[in-house]
Amino acid sequence: MHKKSIIISIILLAILIGGWYGYSEYNRKVKNLSSVTADFNLSGNQLLSEFEANEPSANQKYLGKIVAVSEVLRSVEVNDNGNYFLILGPENSMSSIRCSMDSTMHEEVKSLVNASVVRIKGVCTGFNSDELLGSDIILNRCVIELN
Amino acid sequence: MKRTSFIVALGMLASFALNAQDKYFTKTGEVAFYSKASLENIEAHNRSVTCVLDTKSGNLQFAVLMKGFEFEKALMQEHFNENYVESHKYPKAEFKGQVTNLTELNFTKDGTYKAKVKGKLSLHGQTRDVETTGSITVKGGKILADATFEIALADYQIEIPNVVKDNIGKTVSITVDCDLEPLKK
Repeated sequence: MHKKSIIISIILLAILIGGWYGYSEYNRKVKNLSSVTADFNLSGNQLLSEFEANEPSANQKYLGKIVAVSEVLRSVEVNDNGNYFLILGPENSMSSIRCSMDSTMHEEVKSLVNASVVRIKGVCTGFNSDELLGSDIILNRCVIELN
Repeated sequence: MKRTSFIVALGMLASFALNAQDKYFTKTGEVAFYSKASLENIEAHNRSVTCVLDTKSGNLQFAVLMKGFEFEKALMQEHFNENYVESHKYPKAEFKGQVTNLTELNFTKDGTYKAKVKGKLSLHGQTRDVETTGSITVKGGKILADATFEIALADYQIEIPNVVKDNIGKTVSITVDCDLEPLKK
Protein backbone atom coordinates (compact mmCIF):
# COMPACT_ATOMS: atom_id res chain seq x y z
CA MET A 1 0.00 0.00 0.00
CA HIS A 2 2.71 2.40 1.04
CA LYS A 3 4.93 1.51 -1.98
CA LYS A 4 2.03 2.11 -4.37
CA SER A 5 1.36 5.63 -3.10
CA ILE A 6 5.06 6.51 -3.41
CA ILE A 7 5.11 5.30 -7.01
CA ILE A 8 1.95 7.24 -7.80
CA SER A 9 3.41 10.39 -6.22
CA ILE A 10 6.58 10.06 -8.28
CA ILE A 11 4.62 9.59 -11.49
CA LEU A 12 2.41 12.57 -10.65
CA LEU A 13 5.47 14.69 -9.89
CA ALA A 14 7.06 13.66 -13.19
CA ILE A 15 3.89 14.63 -15.06
CA LEU A 16 3.72 17.97 -13.22
CA ILE A 17 7.39 18.76 -13.93
CA GLY A 18 7.02 17.68 -17.55
CA GLY A 19 3.92 19.82 -17.94
CA TRP A 20 5.54 22.83 -16.35
CA TYR A 21 8.62 22.44 -18.56
CA GLY A 22 6.50 22.07 -21.68
CA TYR A 23 4.46 25.14 -20.77
CA SER A 24 7.50 27.30 -20.10
CA GLU A 25 9.26 26.11 -23.27
CA TYR A 26 6.18 26.92 -25.31
CA ASN A 27 5.96 30.40 -23.87
CA ARG A 28 9.69 31.12 -23.86
CA LYS A 29 10.34 34.59 -25.23
CA VAL A 30 13.29 35.51 -27.36
CA LYS A 31 16.18 36.33 -25.04
CA ASN A 32 17.69 39.79 -24.73
CA LEU A 33 21.29 39.57 -25.93
CA SER A 34 22.81 41.82 -23.26
CA SER A 35 23.45 38.82 -21.04
CA VAL A 36 24.51 36.42 -23.79
CA THR A 37 28.15 35.88 -24.85
CA ALA A 38 28.89 36.40 -28.51
CA ASP A 39 29.88 33.39 -30.62
CA PHE A 40 32.21 35.57 -32.67
CA ASN A 41 34.10 38.83 -32.04
CA LEU A 42 35.54 40.66 -35.02
CA SER A 43 35.74 43.90 -36.96
CA GLY A 44 33.04 44.92 -39.39
CA ASN A 45 35.58 44.87 -42.21
CA GLN A 46 36.58 41.29 -41.46
CA LEU A 47 32.96 40.12 -41.37
CA LEU A 48 32.16 41.90 -44.63
CA SER A 49 35.26 40.44 -46.32
CA GLU A 50 34.21 36.92 -45.41
CA PHE A 51 30.72 37.39 -46.85
CA GLU A 52 31.99 39.14 -49.96
CA ALA A 53 34.56 36.43 -50.60
CA ASN A 54 32.27 33.43 -50.14
CA GLU A 55 28.66 34.01 -49.14
CA PRO A 56 27.60 30.34 -48.77
CA SER A 57 30.47 29.48 -46.44
CA ALA A 58 30.04 32.71 -44.46
CA ASN A 59 26.34 31.90 -44.12
CA GLN A 60 27.20 28.46 -42.81
CA LYS A 61 29.57 30.00 -40.28
CA TYR A 62 27.54 33.00 -39.12
CA LEU A 63 23.83 32.61 -39.90
CA GLY A 64 21.81 32.54 -36.71
CA LYS A 65 24.93 33.06 -34.57
CA ILE A 66 25.59 35.91 -32.17
CA VAL A 67 28.26 38.20 -33.57
CA ALA A 68 29.94 41.15 -31.80
CA VAL A 69 31.19 43.59 -34.43
CA SER A 70 33.59 46.52 -33.87
CA GLU A 71 33.31 49.16 -36.54
CA VAL A 72 32.94 52.85 -37.29
CA LEU A 73 29.40 54.13 -36.83
CA ARG A 74 28.35 55.73 -40.12
CA SER A 75 24.81 56.78 -39.22
CA VAL A 76 21.70 56.10 -37.17
CA GLU A 77 18.31 55.60 -38.83
CA VAL A 78 14.84 55.53 -37.30
CA ASN A 79 11.77 54.18 -39.03
CA ASP A 80 8.15 55.29 -38.60
CA ASN A 81 7.58 52.74 -35.84
CA GLY A 82 10.43 54.09 -33.72
CA ASN A 83 12.81 51.21 -34.51
CA TYR A 84 16.47 52.19 -34.56
CA PHE A 85 19.07 50.96 -37.04
CA LEU A 86 22.79 51.56 -36.63
CA ILE A 87 24.71 51.60 -39.90
CA LEU A 88 28.32 50.53 -39.42
CA GLY A 89 31.07 50.93 -41.97
CA PRO A 90 33.57 53.43 -43.37
CA GLU A 91 32.06 56.62 -44.80
CA ASN A 92 32.73 56.04 -48.49
CA SER A 93 31.99 52.35 -48.73
CA MET A 94 29.13 50.69 -50.61
CA SER A 95 29.14 47.96 -47.96
CA SER A 96 27.81 48.20 -44.44
CA ILE A 97 26.58 46.29 -41.46
CA ARG A 98 23.02 47.22 -40.62
CA CYS A 99 22.13 46.65 -36.97
CA SER A 100 18.45 46.47 -36.08
CA MET A 101 18.47 47.57 -32.45
CA ASP A 102 16.66 45.83 -29.62
CA SER A 103 13.80 47.97 -28.31
CA THR A 104 15.54 48.28 -24.91
CA MET A 105 18.42 50.19 -26.51
CA HIS A 106 16.67 53.42 -27.44
CA GLU A 107 18.28 55.58 -24.75
CA GLU A 108 21.78 54.19 -25.35
CA VAL A 109 21.54 54.78 -29.09
CA LYS A 110 20.94 58.49 -28.55
CA SER A 111 24.30 58.88 -26.83
CA LEU A 112 26.32 57.44 -29.74
CA VAL A 113 28.45 59.71 -31.90
CA ASN A 114 28.77 59.28 -35.66
CA ALA A 115 32.26 58.39 -36.89
CA SER A 116 33.18 56.86 -33.53
CA VAL A 117 34.03 53.16 -33.23
CA VAL A 118 31.31 51.09 -31.59
CA ARG A 119 30.92 47.43 -30.72
CA ILE A 120 27.52 45.98 -31.47
CA LYS A 121 26.34 42.48 -30.67
CA GLY A 122 23.49 40.89 -32.59
CA VAL A 123 22.21 37.82 -34.41
CA CYS A 124 23.46 37.50 -37.97
CA THR A 125 20.46 37.16 -40.28
CA GLY A 126 22.41 37.20 -43.54
CA PHE A 127 23.85 39.17 -46.42
CA ASN A 128 22.16 41.23 -49.10
CA SER A 129 24.29 42.14 -52.07
CA ASP A 130 22.83 44.43 -54.71
CA GLU A 131 24.44 46.30 -57.60
CA LEU A 132 22.46 49.45 -56.94
CA LEU A 133 22.15 49.38 -53.20
CA GLY A 134 25.54 47.99 -52.13
CA SER A 135 26.23 45.04 -49.83
CA ASP A 136 24.86 44.79 -46.32
CA ILE A 137 25.13 42.30 -43.51
CA ILE A 138 22.05 42.50 -41.31
CA LEU A 139 22.16 41.89 -37.55
CA ASN A 140 19.00 41.66 -35.43
CA ARG A 141 18.16 42.18 -31.75
CA CYS A 142 21.29 44.30 -31.41
CA VAL A 143 22.70 45.60 -28.17
CA ILE A 144 25.59 47.97 -27.62
CA GLU A 145 28.66 46.42 -26.00
CA LEU A 146 30.50 48.79 -23.73
CA ASN A 147 34.20 48.11 -23.40
CA MET B 1 28.37 75.85 -83.20
CA LYS B 2 29.40 76.63 -79.64
CA ARG B 3 25.87 77.78 -78.80
CA THR B 4 24.26 74.59 -80.19
CA SER B 5 26.62 72.34 -78.31
CA PHE B 6 25.94 74.36 -75.16
CA ILE B 7 22.20 73.94 -75.63
CA VAL B 8 22.64 70.22 -76.27
CA ALA B 9 24.72 69.93 -73.10
CA LEU B 10 22.03 71.80 -71.14
CA GLY B 11 19.39 69.51 -72.62
CA MET B 12 21.33 66.42 -71.57
CA LEU B 13 21.82 67.83 -68.09
CA ALA B 14 18.09 68.52 -67.83
CA SER B 15 17.22 64.96 -68.91
CA PHE B 16 19.61 63.58 -66.29
CA ALA B 17 17.91 65.70 -63.66
CA LEU B 18 14.50 64.41 -64.72
CA ASN B 19 15.72 60.81 -64.70
CA ALA B 20 17.33 61.19 -61.27
CA GLN B 21 14.00 60.38 -59.61
CA ASP B 22 13.13 57.18 -61.45
CA LYS B 23 14.37 54.63 -58.88
CA TYR B 24 13.07 54.45 -55.31
CA PHE B 25 14.28 52.15 -52.56
CA THR B 26 14.27 51.17 -48.91
CA LYS B 27 16.36 48.92 -46.68
CA THR B 28 13.93 49.07 -43.78
CA GLY B 29 10.82 47.75 -45.48
CA GLU B 30 8.43 45.66 -43.39
CA VAL B 31 7.00 42.30 -44.30
CA ALA B 32 4.75 40.44 -41.87
CA PHE B 33 3.03 37.13 -42.21
CA TYR B 34 0.00 35.92 -40.37
CA SER B 35 -1.47 32.45 -40.16
CA LYS B 36 -4.66 31.58 -38.35
CA ALA B 37 -4.31 28.34 -36.42
CA SER B 38 -6.64 26.53 -34.06
CA LEU B 39 -4.25 26.52 -31.10
CA GLU B 40 -2.77 29.94 -31.60
CA ASN B 41 -2.35 32.46 -34.38
CA ILE B 42 1.13 32.68 -35.84
CA GLU B 43 2.56 36.08 -36.57
CA ALA B 44 6.04 37.31 -37.47
CA HIS B 45 7.63 40.57 -38.64
CA ASN B 46 10.71 41.39 -40.68
CA ARG B 47 11.87 45.02 -40.53
CA SER B 48 14.90 44.89 -42.80
CA VAL B 49 13.35 44.19 -46.15
CA THR B 50 15.05 45.68 -49.22
CA CYS B 51 12.85 47.00 -51.99
CA VAL B 52 13.58 48.78 -55.26
CA LEU B 53 10.90 50.30 -57.50
CA ASP B 54 11.74 51.66 -60.92
CA THR B 55 8.98 54.14 -61.69
CA LYS B 56 9.96 54.34 -65.35
CA SER B 57 9.82 50.62 -66.14
CA GLY B 58 7.57 49.45 -63.31
CA ASN B 59 10.18 46.93 -62.16
CA LEU B 60 9.62 45.98 -58.55
CA GLN B 61 11.98 43.85 -56.46
CA PHE B 62 12.10 42.71 -52.85
CA ALA B 63 14.72 40.78 -50.89
CA VAL B 64 13.87 39.28 -47.50
CA LEU B 65 16.31 37.48 -45.20
CA MET B 66 14.35 34.61 -43.64
CA LYS B 67 16.29 34.68 -40.37
CA GLY B 68 15.12 38.26 -39.97
CA PHE B 69 11.54 37.25 -39.11
CA GLU B 70 10.87 37.94 -35.47
CA PHE B 71 8.27 36.02 -33.48
CA GLU B 72 7.03 36.66 -30.00
CA LYS B 73 7.80 33.12 -28.93
CA ALA B 74 11.32 31.72 -29.29
CA LEU B 75 10.13 28.16 -29.93
CA MET B 76 7.96 29.25 -32.86
CA GLN B 77 10.88 31.18 -34.35
CA GLU B 78 13.12 28.13 -34.02
CA HIS B 79 10.58 25.79 -35.63
CA PHE B 80 9.99 28.29 -38.41
CA ASN B 81 13.70 28.49 -39.21
CA GLU B 82 14.74 24.89 -38.62
CA ASN B 83 11.71 22.91 -39.85
CA TYR B 84 9.36 25.01 -41.96
CA VAL B 85 11.38 27.36 -44.15
CA GLU B 86 14.77 25.72 -43.49
CA SER B 87 16.48 29.11 -43.52
CA HIS B 88 19.94 27.50 -43.25
CA LYS B 89 19.36 26.07 -46.73
CA TYR B 90 17.33 28.94 -48.18
CA PRO B 91 18.38 32.10 -46.34
CA LYS B 92 16.68 34.57 -48.65
CA ALA B 93 13.24 35.04 -50.21
CA GLU B 94 12.92 37.26 -53.27
CA PHE B 95 10.17 38.82 -55.31
CA LYS B 96 10.87 40.02 -58.84
CA GLY B 97 8.02 41.58 -60.74
CA GLN B 98 6.32 44.52 -62.32
CA VAL B 99 3.69 47.10 -61.64
CA THR B 100 1.42 46.25 -64.58
CA ASN B 101 -0.80 49.33 -64.60
CA LEU B 102 2.02 51.89 -64.62
CA THR B 103 0.13 54.30 -66.89
CA GLU B 104 -2.57 54.67 -64.22
CA LEU B 105 -0.03 55.91 -61.68
CA ASN B 106 1.37 59.42 -61.49
CA PHE B 107 4.56 59.46 -59.45
CA THR B 108 4.93 63.21 -59.72
CA LYS B 109 1.58 63.98 -58.14
CA ASP B 110 0.75 63.34 -54.47
CA GLY B 111 -2.06 60.87 -54.08
CA THR B 112 -3.00 57.24 -53.51
CA TYR B 113 -3.22 54.88 -56.44
CA LYS B 114 -4.20 51.24 -56.88
CA ALA B 115 -1.22 49.31 -58.17
CA LYS B 116 -1.49 45.96 -59.91
CA VAL B 117 1.56 43.85 -59.28
CA LYS B 118 2.60 40.63 -60.96
CA GLY B 119 5.80 38.67 -60.55
CA LYS B 120 7.66 35.67 -59.22
CA LEU B 121 8.13 34.88 -55.56
CA SER B 122 11.06 32.62 -54.64
CA LEU B 123 10.71 31.04 -51.22
CA HIS B 124 12.13 27.83 -49.74
CA GLY B 125 13.76 26.99 -53.05
CA GLN B 126 10.49 27.21 -55.00
CA THR B 127 9.46 29.95 -57.43
CA ARG B 128 5.81 30.70 -58.09
CA ASP B 129 3.80 33.38 -59.85
CA VAL B 130 2.15 35.90 -57.57
CA GLU B 131 -0.38 38.50 -58.59
CA THR B 132 -2.01 41.06 -56.34
CA THR B 133 -3.32 44.60 -56.10
CA GLY B 134 -1.67 46.92 -53.66
CA SER B 135 -1.64 50.63 -53.06
CA ILE B 136 0.99 53.21 -53.87
CA THR B 137 0.84 56.56 -52.11
CA VAL B 138 2.99 59.40 -53.40
CA LYS B 139 3.66 61.92 -50.68
CA GLY B 140 6.31 64.58 -50.32
CA GLY B 141 8.79 62.96 -52.68
CA LYS B 142 8.41 59.53 -51.08
CA ILE B 143 6.50 56.49 -52.23
CA LEU B 144 4.59 54.37 -49.71
CA ALA B 145 3.89 50.90 -51.06
CA ASP B 146 1.42 48.56 -49.31
CA ALA B 147 0.00 45.20 -50.24
CA THR B 148 -1.54 42.11 -48.68
CA PHE B 149 -1.74 38.75 -50.39
CA GLU B 150 -2.08 35.07 -49.56
CA ILE B 151 0.20 32.18 -50.34
CA ALA B 152 -0.41 28.46 -49.99
CA LEU B 153 2.31 26.74 -47.94
CA ALA B 154 2.15 23.67 -50.16
CA ASP B 155 3.12 25.76 -53.21
CA TYR B 156 6.49 26.40 -51.62
CA GLN B 157 6.89 22.88 -50.25
CA ILE B 158 6.71 24.16 -46.71
CA GLU B 159 5.82 21.10 -44.73
CA ILE B 160 3.95 21.22 -41.51
CA PRO B 161 4.63 18.14 -39.39
CA ASN B 162 1.61 15.85 -38.91
CA VAL B 163 1.54 16.51 -35.19
CA VAL B 164 0.58 20.16 -35.70
CA LYS B 165 -0.83 19.95 -39.24
CA ASP B 166 -4.42 20.57 -38.25
CA ASN B 167 -3.42 23.39 -35.97
CA ILE B 168 -1.63 25.48 -38.58
CA GLY B 169 -3.47 27.06 -41.50
CA LYS B 170 -2.68 25.94 -45.04
CA THR B 171 -2.47 29.49 -46.31
CA VAL B 172 -0.54 32.38 -44.93
CA SER B 173 -1.38 36.05 -45.28
CA ILE B 174 1.57 38.29 -46.17
CA THR B 175 1.56 42.05 -45.61
CA VAL B 176 4.09 44.35 -47.23
CA ASP B 177 4.67 47.91 -46.04
CA CYS B 178 7.57 49.87 -47.54
CA ASP B 179 8.43 53.58 -47.40
CA LEU B 180 10.56 54.25 -50.48
CA GLU B 181 12.94 57.14 -51.02
CA PRO B 182 14.58 58.31 -54.23
CA LEU B 183 17.82 56.50 -54.99
CA LYS B 184 20.52 59.10 -55.52
CA LYS B 185 22.99 58.02 -58.16
